Formats: sequence, structure tokens, C-alpha cells
Amino acid sequence: MKKTKLGEFEELVLLTVAALQSEAYGVEIKRELEDRLKEKLSVGSIQSALKRMEEKGFLTSEFGEATLKRGGKRKRIYTTTSYAHKVLAEMKDIRTGLWESIPASLASELRTV
Amino acid sequence: MIPRENISPPRWPLGFLRLFIKKEYLEEIEGDMEELFYDNAEKVSVRKANLIYTWEILRLLRPILLKNLKTISTPTPIPMFRNYFKVSLRGFMKTPLSSFINIVGLSIAIGICVFVYGFAHWVYSTDQFHEHKNTVYLMTFLANRDGVLQVHGQTPRPLGEMLKQDFTHITDVCRVEDRSVVVKYNDNVFHERLRFTDPEFLTMLTFPLKWGDSGSLSDINSVILSEEMSVKYFGDENPVGESILIKFDDKNSKAFKVSGVAAEFPKSRTIGFNFLVNFENLRLADPGYDMQDWEAFVNATLIRVNDPADLKAIEMGMDKYKALQNKAVKEEWEIASFGFEQLATLHERSEEIKDDISRSSASNYKSIMFLSVVAVFLLALACFNYINIAIVTAAKRLKEIGVRKTIGATRRVVIVQFLTENVVMTFFALIVGVVLGATLFIPGFEQMWHFDMGFSLAVPGLWIYLLSILLLTAIASGIYPALYISRFEVAGILKGSVQFGKKNPITKTFLGIQLALALMFITTAVMFTQNSAYMAKRGWGYNQEAALYAQVPDGAAFEQLSAVMDQDPDVLLISGSRHHLGKSNTTAFIQMADRSYTVDQLSVDAKYFEAMGLTLAAGRTFRDLFETDKQTVIVNEEFVRSFNPGEGTGSVFRIDSVQYEVIGVVKDFHSYDFFKKVNPTIFKVADRGDFRYLSMRVRPGSENKTYKGLQANWAKLFPETPFQGGYQEDVWGSYFEEISIHATVWKVFGFMAVLLASLGLYGLMSLNIAGRAKEFSIRKVLGAGAKSIAGIIARQYVILFAVAVLLAAPTSYTLIKNLFDASYTYHMPVDFSGVVIAVALLVAVVLITVSTQVRKVLKSDPVNGLKQE
Repeated sequence: MKKTKLGEFEELVLLTVAALQSEAYGVEIKRELEDRLKEKLSVGSIQSALKRMEEKGFLTSEFGEATLKRGGKRKRIYTTTSYAHKVLAEMKDIRTGLWESIPASLASELRTV
Repeated sequence: MIPRENISPPRWPLGFLRLFIKKEYLEEIEGDMEELFYDNAEKVSVRKANLIYTWEILRLLRPILLKNLKTISTPTPIPMFRNYFKVSLRGFMKTPLSSFINIVGLSIAIGICVFVYGFAHWVYSTDQFHEHKNTVYLMTFLANRDGVLQVHGQTPRPLGEMLKQDFTHITDVCRVEDRSVVVKYNDNVFHERLRFTDPEFLTMLTFPLKWGDSGSLSDINSVILSEEMSVKYFGDENPVGESILIKFDDKNSKAFKVSGVAAEFPKSRTIGFNFLVNFENLRLADPGYDMQDWEAFVNATLIRVNDPADLKAIEMGMDKYKALQNKAVKEEWEIASFGFEQLATLHERSEEIKDDISRSSASNYKSIMFLSVVAVFLLALACFNYINIAIVTAAKRLKEIGVRKTIGATRRVVIVQFLTENVVMTFFALIVGVVLGATLFIPGFEQMWHFDMGFSLAVPGLWIYLLSILLLTAIASGIYPALYISRFEVAGILKGSVQFGKKNPITKTFLGIQLALALMFITTAVMFTQNSAYMAKRGWGYNQEAALYAQVPDGAAFEQLSAVMDQDPDVLLISGSRHHLGKSNTTAFIQMADRSYTVDQLSVDAKYFEAMGLTLAAGRTFRDLFETDKQTVIVNEEFVRSFNPGEGTGSVFRIDSVQYEVIGVVKDFHSYDFFKKVNPTIFKVADRGDFRYLSMRVRPGSENKTYKGLQANWAKLFPETPFQGGYQEDVWGSYFEEISIHATVWKVFGFMAVLLASLGLYGLMSLNIAGRAKEFSIRKVLGAGAKSIAGIIARQYVILFAVAVLLAAPTSYTLIKNLFDASYTYHMPVDFSGVVIAVALLVAVVLITVSTQVRKVLKSDPVNGLKQE
């Protein structure tokens, strides 16, 4: 893994963007994550994560449609980059590798928690 | 669901958001926030949605979302201001005429402001140098005279001593009594005012001493001199230890040892002294002086308390003394109550206190008011000049503003730039103004009025005052032009479609106000000058010309001098009197059938009326046989008007229970100058032994010669006593000087106002004409003559001028009428001639200004005008 670091929260947001695809804009990402994490998230935290990852090259974005509910303001739809895919895959591999190297007895204990 | 259109997210957090969040993120985040808000509004409540919205916005303030802090904080503004400064200076150089007009105008106005400050400072610091100014009081009493309660500054003689014994609150008491004496040191012999006082005088009124010891006043043989007297008699030497002879009168004199010299008195004071001696010396100077006599007064009694709050208790206890006083005197002299005047404010109240030792500063306060008004008007005139010129010259700076705006200057920045320029200009004007004020206006004024207001630039208040004038003037004159000029849009400027400065109603209004103000100032100047001339010609009610007078110590001296002067063929008539017109009189208290009145009284002999040229209106004057006329009086017309209308001679009244009959009425006369009202006056017969004045009518033309003869004879007869006397024409002292100073002062103000207004007019016209050079060139080429060009130039100012005159002429007429009534007891009848002269003067000035411009146009070569782009 290179220097570029992906924080835990960032990784979650990045995965959500990847999951939501064309629906991946601020509020929707927030909703999705809140459902999954079962906790309240602030717009600020999501937005700062998104902007940071855009800066780092994990995400690109473009304006989507405007809705009445948004007061005529356009959404910004985020898309994951191939670089992000690579990093995500790497992360997953690392994790899987680690999981596999855990002794079987402890691993089964972990699974039951 | 709540209808969408009725709810919306709260506004102020949104504004907050827009202020801080990066522009490129705004649309997205705003949209998100709004979507969330409506979701919440549906799910929970609008109120809660509002709260969540606000909270969320606060939580959006994260570094990555925020605007770059470096772009928010403006870069250090100093280089920008340096640029403004440079541009201002270049601007001044480029348009020397406008800058000259602006700076001259402002600096004159600021100079006057500096002067007003100096004067006000001088007035307000009056008597404030006394350390105990808040605990020292002058005793006064209130008495009902002529139906009016009047405050008197004198005190019954025994009161001071009694108070000191009776009240523990009173720490010090000092009595003050003044007498005229002759002071002799070697060959220096002069009439002087001597002040008898208790030793506490110098601890209560803290005049510092230059030499000697202030405690020495308790020594009955000591005298303390003022700095001025010390110089007069001893030059720069330290006179302590020297002996001077003080002659109280012909018989009594005493040698005193100089034991102290006061340091130079502060410039603004109302109480001072020339010679101070112990009060006990009065026993020698005036053997008849009874210190225990409740019926007689001492000139002043000062008390000092520990705490001003103690005064209440003292005032409460004064009834006892009032009873004592009223038991001692006759009914008509009864007093209503005793009072106390604090030293710190005595000079302000002095105007209302009769016979007090302090001098009133009321007229000074009035002057401050007048001067402030004048200063504000002049400042306004100067500001109008600036505003007008700035607006008109703005055309030349449009490109600059356009460029500045293009490269990112906001309107606010342009305003700040223009105000900065203004501050720079005002600053120059301020420097020139302070120099003008300190070296020209203040010394000029001091010289005119013969006083020294001790002006110093080292007063912190002055600099605060100047700083506020700087900012106020800069903003007042600069804000309108700045707003006006910064308003234009870049596109318009650069396309050249912005047209302005040619016909601006505001410019015209300001010019109109300037002309109106100038007219008011000129009218005032003219009227004061007219009044001064009028008063010089106004009759005094008697013939003051070809009349001489001399003061004599007693009746015997009168006989001696009279016998000598009788030999002079130029002397037509000699008269003796106890009092003298313009020099002295006394107050008498007369009882008519129903009421009592105070009148002025002069005791004279039978020839006095002829000698002074008083005109008899009815009845007769005194006969030479004094005895028969002892109980008769001659009154003036004012007396008849005030007390017994219709009845002239033959009416009777009492003075101290002696009955007098009116045998004659003389026409009203001014015993003192025109500032003082003509009071009801009576003449009584004077005893020969009481004569104090010798007055003579001399052959017209021989005044000088006779005067010299009078002095020579005096010196022969009374070598020990200095001569006091002179021409009757001079008895009013500085009156005529004073009213002519009023005229001079207003002339100066009028001149400044006209100068400012005409400078403004000149500047405005020259800019206007410069802007229309092409038009005039075409007109000239097509054959327009001087007349037509002059007509065109003048036309736009004629209406303006007419309006200004129509507004200002009646206003100034009314104003001056009131001003005269307020400042002068007697003045010339105010008519329209002054206004007419003023208008004529202003027309002349305006015409000259216009004609310089017309000539400029006529002389110019039309080719040059046409070549202009």
C-alpha cells in the first residue's frame, strides 16, 4: 500500500458511493450510511469526507439534476475512480489476508460475537 | 404535509454558510441542506427542522469546506493606502487651482476653529487655577429693590467675623475692601487701587508668589505687590524689603515694607489685586470705618469650608443674621436672604450679581457662541467648495475609477480611496490652518482687544479637537463625492456613456447656499460698520466737546485750582461737583407716594449744566445761592417717564425722609457709554467742601492748550499728587474702540466668507467652461461676440444668485436686527440700506469672478478648443 491513506470513515463513504452508483449524492449517501451504521451523521462529516477523497483522487463528481425539494439547486453525483477501485480492492485483500491468518479457533470465536 | 410554499429554511444560517463555505461547493451543499430540511420538516416538525438545519450548518464549518482563510483576510492594506496617498499627491499637483481653492478655504476655516478653541479654552479656564475653587465662596445677599430680587456681592461688615466664630464648618474667612490711594516710591507717584484684606486671602485664593512670603500679610506693615506693580515701580529688581509710601488721603499716609510679589497672574482670571495690605490698616486709612456697623457694607467677604456639602448647614443657619441685619437697617434696605457663590462658577454668575469683586464672563460665553457659529459656517463654505469641485472634476477621474473597478476594486474600496484622499487634503489644510490660527488670527484678535489668552499648542484637548475636525471635515466634505463617483458601473465608464458633472442640481444647491451664507456675512459686516459710524455721530445728550475735567482730592484743592484756572482767558466757565458725567455717580433710594425706586444721583453746582452743555427741557436749573436750592432736584426725562408721567416739575419725593422738589427737567443724556442704559437720574446740590471734580467749558479750539495749562498748574499746586483728568470726549474710554472692533471682526469674517464663496464660484465656473471649450469655440467661429458669450456663461448663475439673494437678504436683515438688540443697548435703526449695500458688494464680487472667466473664453483661440477630443 502506498502513501495514500484512506481513513475508516472515508472508506465507508467510498463504499457507499460505489454502492449507490447514480444516486450517490450528499443526502442520499448520508441516508444510506445512517441506515447501515444506525447512527446519525452530520452533513459536514459526509461532505468533508467526500471533498477530501475527491482531492485525493478517489472520487470524481459532476452536477446532476435539480429538484424542487432542493430549491432548484443541482445535486452533485459522485463516482468512484479506478484508482479508488484499486485501493478498495487492495484494502479488501489485506483484510481478507489478515482474516485468513487468524488461527481457526480464534476466528470461530470472533465470528460468533 | 405542510404546504411547501409556507415553509423555508431559516435565512440567517444560510447567509452564514454563504459567507464561509467555498463558492464552488455552495450549490451542492445548499441543495443538500434544503433537501434535508424539507425531509425533516415532513418527518418531525418545522421547528425541529429549523434547529437541525442551523446545527448542521454550524457543523459544516470544517477546514476543507471553508473558504481559503488567506483570501478572506484582506492583505495588509498599507501598500494600497500608500498608493492612495501617491495618487492624492499627484492629483493635487495636477490640478493646482482646485487644490489651492480647497486647501486655502479649509485652512482658513480651520484657523478660525483653532482660534475659537483657544478662546473657549481661555474662557472656560477662568479662575480654575485656584486650588480651593470648589470650597471657597463669595457671600452675597438677595434684596428686593424696585420690585425685583437682586443679588448683591457685598456683605454687611460684621458678618464675616461672626460666621467664623459661629460655624465650625467655616475654616477661613476673609474680608476685602478696596480704596483709591496714592503710592509713592522715590520719584514714582501714581494713583492706585489698594486692597485691604485679611491674611487668609492668599491661602483661599491661591495666587503663587514669585518672591517673599504669603504669610507676611498678617504683618500690619507689609504690602504684597502684583507682578505688574512690581515691574512698574521697581523694574526687574526683587523689591522685597523695600519701603513704599501709601497716601490714603491728604492727612493719612503710612510706609509699608514690601514683603512679597505675586507671580504673574494666570491669563484668565476675574479676581486679582495690585497692592495687598492687612485689613486692620483700614483703621488708619478710613478712621470712620466701623467694622461693627450692620448698616454698612464691606466690598466682599469670602469664606472657605472643608466640604461643599457643608454649605447646606450654613445656609440653614443664616436666618439669625438676616434678622440681625434687617433690625439694623431701615425698612427699604431690608434683605431677603443671604447666599453663597462658589468661586469656580462665580465668573459665570457675576453678570447677575451687583457690586461683586469678580468680573463677569457672560459676554465671553456669548462670544464663544457667535464664534462657533461663524466657524461652523466657514467650515461649511469650505466643504461646499470641496464637494462642488470634487464632483465636477470627477469626470477627469472616471477612467481611473473604471480601471480600479475592473481590477477588482469594490465600491467600498473606491469610497475608502476617495475618503483617504480627502483626509490627506484636510491634513494639509489642518497644518496650514493651525499655523494661520496660531500666528495670525489669535495674535490679531488679542491685539485688537488688548488681552492675552495664553494660547498654547501643548494642550492635549486641542489635538483631540483638531483630530475630530480633521475626520469630521474630511468625511463631511468627502462622503458625497465619494458615494457619487463610486456609483458608476465599469461598463458605462469605459464605453464613455457616463455623462455627469455638467448639470448637477446638488452642485448648484451648494453654490446657492454658499452665496447665501456669504451674503449674510457681508450684510453683518456692513451693518456693524454702519453702526460704528452711526454711534460715533450719535449725540451724548450733552456737549462733550471743548470740555475738560480734573479730579481733585477735596474742596480746598478745588478752590485753589479753580482760582488759578480762572485766570486763563480760554476758560469760559468753571464748575465744581461731587460726581461727574462719565466718571462717577452714586445711587439714591427715593420714596414716592406709593413705591420706592433706585435712581442714579449726581451732586453738582449751579454752573455744571452750562459747563457740560446739558439741555434743559422744563423748569430751571439751580441758582447760585446754594442754600435755597438744598432741597430741590433736577431730573432727567427718563425719570419723568418712569415715575410720574405727565408731571414734570413740582413733584415731590423723599430721600432718607428728607423731602425734595423737582424744579427742572433736563433732556436725557448718556453719563456712560452706549452699552449702558439711560437710568432715571437726579441732580442734587453739592456742598462746596465735597467737590471732587472740576469741569471747565473752554473756548473751542483751545482744548489742547488749556489742557496743558491745567496739567502745568496742577503740578505746581500739588506736586505730590498725580494729575487725573482729561478731555470730556475721552471719558468713555475704549467704547468707540470696542464697537469699531466689532465692525472689524465682522469685516474679517465677511471677507473670508466672500473669499471662500467666490473661490468656489471661480473653481466651479472654470471647470464648467473647460468642459465646454468645444462649444464656445464653435460659437466663436460662428461669430458669437463678447456679449453673447458672457450671457451664456452668466445665464446659469443668474437664477441661482437671485434665489440666494431672495433667501438670504430677509434672513440676514432679521438676524442682524436681533443680533443688534442682543448685543447693544443702543444701536442705529436697522434699515434695508445695509442689505442693499451687501447685495451690491456680492454682485460686484460675482461679476468680477464671472468676467475673469468670460475674458478667458474670449481670449482663447477657438482652434485649440476645436482640436480637443
